[in-house]
Amino acid sequence: MTASVLALAAVAVSLQVSVTNFINFAYGDFMTFGAYIAWTVAEHGVNFFLAVLIGGIATGVLGVVSNFVIFRPFMRRRVRPVTLLIAGVGLSFIVQNGMTIIWGTEPVRFNVTLGNALHIGPLVLTPGDLVTIGAAVALLVLLHAMLTYTKFGKSLRATSNNVDLAKACGIDSDRVISITWFIAGILTAVAGVGLVLQESTLDPTTGFSELFVIFGAVILGGIGRPYGAMLGALVVGILTEVSGSYVDSAYKTSIAFGFVIVLLLFRPQGLFSAAGKTS
Amino acid sequence: MLFFFTDLLALGCIVSIMVVGLNLQYGYTGLLNFAFYMYVAIGAYIAGVTTMGPPTLPGITYIFGWTLPWYVGLLLGGVVAAAAGAVVFAFTVRRLRSDYLAIVTVSAAFIVYNVINSFIPLFDGATGLFNVPPITGNLNVSTEQYSLIVLLVAAILLAVFVFISMRIFRSPFGRLLRAIREDETVTSAFGHASWRPQLWVFVIGCFMAGIAGGLFIFYITAWSPSAFLPLESFFLLAALIIGGSGNYWGAVFGAFVVIEGLAELSRYAPTFGSQADAGAIRAMIIGIALILVLRYRPEGLFPERWLKWYRTTASAARKRVLPGRQSP
Repeated sequence: MTASVLALAAVAVSLQVSVTNFINFAYGDFMTFGAYIAWTVAEHGVNFFLAVLIGGIATGVLGVVSNFVIFRPFMRRRVRPVTLLIAGVGLSFIVQNGMTIIWGTEPVRFNVTLGNALHIGPLVLTPGDLVTIGAAVALLVLLHAMLTYTKFGKSLRATSNNVDLAKACGIDSDRVISITWFIAGILTAVAGVGLVLQESTLDPTTGFSELFVIFGAVILGGIGRPYGAMLGALVVGILTEVSGSYVDSAYKTSIAFGFVIVLLLFRPQGLFSAAGKTS
Repeated sequence: MLFFFTDLLALGCIVSIMVVGLNLQYGYTGLLNFAFYMYVAIGAYIAGVTTMGPPTLPGITYIFGWTLPWYVGLLLGGVVAAAAGAVVFAFTVRRLRSDYLAIVTVSAAFIVYNVINSFIPLFDGATGLFNVPPITGNLNVSTEQYSLIVLLVAAILLAVFVFISMRIFRSPFGRLLRAIREDETVTSAFGHASWRPQLWVFVIGCFMAGIAGGLFIFYITAWSPSAFLPLESFFLLAALIIGGSGNYWGAVFGAFVVIEGLAELSRYAPTFGSQADAGAIRAMIIGIALILVLRYRPEGLFPERWLKWYRTTASAARKRVLPGRQSP
């Protein structure tokens, strides 16, 4: 998983965690879902980029619906975070196996040609990589602008900082949370497509198997801090790639997981955090 | 037809042992272990390599290759799983909050899975172990009879483990565990180091997992990484929560109905689309049931408070603790 894909996914997770304060276990499956929708639309002859956009919107809607139907009732009751985590596992079962029923377990691949690979010195950048990196940079800049300069961004940050206080100031935090799920959904779907372009095949477990690497990046940046997540993604992404040249590639994912474990054990607040959200 | 039932019951008893073990960890004291099946796999592998003798076929490699009797192998599997549990506990549980613990346990399970899958000299990599000797040894028994024998062994062990669970539940130790689950700060304020009881119960749970894994490998006589995908742990947890976490009967119910019953039922579900559907439908149903139970009946179908001695009667406790106090 390269840093650009990881950054998109990690920022999406981090954004959602920042306003809802729990980790959504179904995120990997959301990625797969977005990629599948985009694939299906693209198979019907629609332009690739439009297809990705449609996949993003569909995933955003899935996020909003999941929040409405599953997570919000739990949050209203102020259950323990563990309960939300387990509900996320249930959602993951539903989404992942729903995809198995609809699309089957046979891997599929995007039928797009985006041009030739680019060689910069020893680096080889496939067009998929370039598009993903471009999309990641564009989306993250857009997100940054939204968080910093719009009124919605302000209310999102307020909600993330303290839901009750935000409510007391007249911010419709339910609406903020819904919109956050939607935005996170779009980012997730783009990350899902990027992941597929890079792994070259897509099956119902594609996203799930990367979930914990994403969590690693999120935690590294400090949970619920989108900017930290970008940096975390960069570090984790580069680390796994570099480690690939020192150990057998079969153990590459183990390195990422080992990294997650060590990180959580010794610096659960993230590498760059000083103060801020603790849970 | 008879085989259908003995097979189902034997597998049900084996899975029940797992869920009863998980119940000790999550139900009794709130340790969210998302990697429970890893200990099952450890038990299975150890039981396999300590009983099946050195590798005979070319290209097959695994460690040990001893020819111990099956019950020694089974016990060894349980002990090694328990030891692994103790190590993991020492490194993780004392340091982490429950949701981080979940992530760390899953990550650890992925690593173990990855290593077993890729490092062939250990347990023969992705091919796995096969031709594990059945517990009947050289006796000539049919598949039907064998499933009956395994059923008997598994049922006896399940009874033992449920009995142990019951004794733990009713003991002061069990009460302490529940108190830690409800509020760790308060129990430590009362002078109980909360990690020590949790360590014991975690290790006992892992031991049960190892035993269940050993029984499993002796029953199906083969084991490979595809048998312990990380997803299996989630199924066990779902079964426990739907059945009723904290209640050992709920755990047994969950194992039989949610895991085994649904597996059988979904086989008869109408198939549309691809062939992988039965498993997918089953997992979807489990996911929906899990969310519904969490939302509308968070204690599960068999709540913990139904158990005898869930709490001592309030009046007796008051008399004992506060003699002669006037009610306000």
